[in-house]
Amino acid sequence: MTILNNPALNGATQFDTVIYGSPPLAYPAPLIQFAIYNAPDPAYITPRINVSAFANLGGGAAWPFLNTNVPLNGHVCVPRGRGPFPLAMFAHGNHNPTENSTPGYLYLCQLLASHGIIAATIDVNFLNGFNFGENDGRAIVHLEHLKQFRTWNNTATHPLHGKVDLNRILIVGHSRGGEGVGHASFFNRLASVGGVPLDGSGPNFLGPYRFGLTAAAAIAPTDRQFTPVTGPTVVPDHYYIIHGSKDSDVSDFQGYHTYERAHVVDLANPTVSDGKFKAMLWVHKANHNQFNSIWASETPVGVAMPRASQEEIAKVHLGALAQALLLDRPEYLEVLRDHGAAVAWDPAGTEFVSQYQDPERVFVQHNQESLGAPVVSLPVQGTVAADGVVATRALTALVTGITSTITLRLAWNALGTRLLLRVDPATLPAERYKTLALRVGQSTEANNPANRDQDFTLEVSSGSHTAAIPASCLHRLLYPDPPPFGAAKIMMQTLRLPIERLVECGVDPSDLRSIAFVFDRRATGTLYVGDLQCSN
Amino acid sequence: MQPPAPPKINAVEVEAAKPTEADRMAIARLSAETNRSLPQVSYTVKVQIKTKPPVTSMAWALYVDDVLIPKYWEYEDGIYFTVLDPQFFADHKGKPLRFSQNGIDFFNTGMKLPAPTAPAAARSTKGKAARSTKAKAARPSKGKAR
Repeated sequence: MTILNNPALNGATQFDTVIYGSPPLAYPAPLIQFAIYNAPDPAYITPRINVSAFANLGGGAAWPFLNTNVPLNGHVCVPRGRGPFPLAMFAHGNHNPTENSTPGYLYLCQLLASHGIIAATIDVNFLNGFNFGENDGRAIVHLEHLKQFRTWNNTATHPLHGKVDLNRILIVGHSRGGEGVGHASFFNRLASVGGVPLDGSGPNFLGPYRFGLTAAAAIAPTDRQFTPVTGPTVVPDHYYIIHGSKDSDVSDFQGYHTYERAHVVDLANPTVSDGKFKAMLWVHKANHNQFNSIWASETPVGVAMPRASQEEIAKVHLGALAQALLLDRPEYLEVLRDHGAAVAWDPAGTEFVSQYQDPERVFVQHNQESLGAPVVSLPVQGTVAADGVVATRALTALVTGITSTITLRLAWNALGTRLLLRVDPATLPAERYKTLALRVGQSTEANNPANRDQDFTLEVSSGSHTAAIPASCLHRLLYPDPPPFGAAKIMMQTLRLPIERLVECGVDPSDLRSIAFVFDRRATGTLYVGDLQCSN
Repeated sequence: MQPPAPPKINAVEVEAAKPTEADRMAIARLSAETNRSLPQVSYTVKVQIKTKPPVTSMAWALYVDDVLIPKYWEYEDGIYFTVLDPQFFADHKGKPLRFSQNGIDFFNTGMKLPAPTAPAAARSTKGKAARSTKAKAARPSKGKAR
């Protein structure tokens, strides 16, 4: 296996940081922090755009422009060299509009640029304020910035000519900007939104987009503050989300709903995948604001981890995402598949819960058929039998909010109880996959002892051979971290059991007969199971 | 830490205004969608807030009865949204204004949606809210006031 370097460490590539903007911008005194955009690098002067079909300007600040001509302002770290370089672009979220939120991701831009990625952080401050529903506007601004980079890439006289790899683009958003990147991923493929053309035509002259977006990454995002007329946004690209347990702004982890909507099983064609992965990182003790280096912490001292630790975690995990997707180092996907791969780089003692769903997978049990008794999911055939464990499927709100995802609840009150899935081996080609993966998490219900990891044994059998693997050998099933307020979240951890390990135990993956959850390690408990799948 | 409390409302008023360019385009789209000829009027519903909460990413979604106002904006004394279809008032006049952060728990503000002033009063609005409505504002009630 390749030895991975810490993706949070700077690379060897030299880079220059440039400010781009749309002068003249006569910012008044209260907006003095934005005056830097009135004096951009002369080669990086940008046009204005008209977002009036989507958003008004945020209140609380006297912007020196209208929503019909908002500027394209930002900071970009440009690696030295011929390129072409991949592009990563960050967008902030809602915050006091008089404080410039944009430079708050320069620490990430600088890291990525040092590895040969053009990395920008964009100004969307003019949409900030005590407003609601403008996140489609944030998406449009994000996409228009990408368009500007495409224009520069195609302009023979521009310093970025031929330097931007438009097929390797990562968009990252924080907070409302995190919701925005989901919409941007969706809008990127559309010719119009809500009757507003995105094909470059007037009167708004927005688009066309259709970028080769590689992935959308959301840091502590909101969800559904804007909802398209077609229904809640489903992110069509690779999707990554990171959120902190001490988030006291987006305290309900609503982005988990975005995550759950992405890349779901198609009940009509359950073996068909859209070819995209999704991954989640839940960070105990991280809060909301400390992912932005400018924003003051929203939690009292001692509630959240130190800012430096939180920034380090962002660098490790977003750095790994960028290495894997933008720099063709797929070995870094291991960090997404299993946060344990980053244990040497993350701040010592940090607890995480992570999920990963590979595009190559076949569900043994996805639980989305109905609220009836649990079944083995087609096309895999088999039966489910509960022995002493209460197994019920429900639309449980694992995080606050209205959920459309069914989970399986397993509750037991005696050692030795079990849930047994018998499968027809002819319908489960496990030998074609690398892992048996399942999502499991514990709640704060009374039969889960407080502050204690939950555990059980996973028994996988083929004929006369059985592998019995404690879940805790794969990952800890952490007790929920108390939230700053509101209900504790039930965070499911993806447990990935290598098929190779089953083979070592004598189990023949081409002849899998049963998979059992055996509750022999804790006398009582309640666990929630999202899905069980063979995957890569 | 305490969860954020919903904003308290002082007053609600409706002003008829001359539509902006973006409003006119939205009115045209809405007229086509509903097969009705909507008047060239934009109604600004101004919701005066006692104390504005700090600017955060979490938002208080505003509902008129059970209808989510999809977009609202800030002005000095509170928030406002724009209604382009007068039918919205016919349907919801006198209904309670409510806030929610999750679509499950609702907080009644004690205020109700008033009726608009007569369309004849449509004018180029002046003042703080009008300055903020240089462009399109919220279009509540899908298929009605959109």
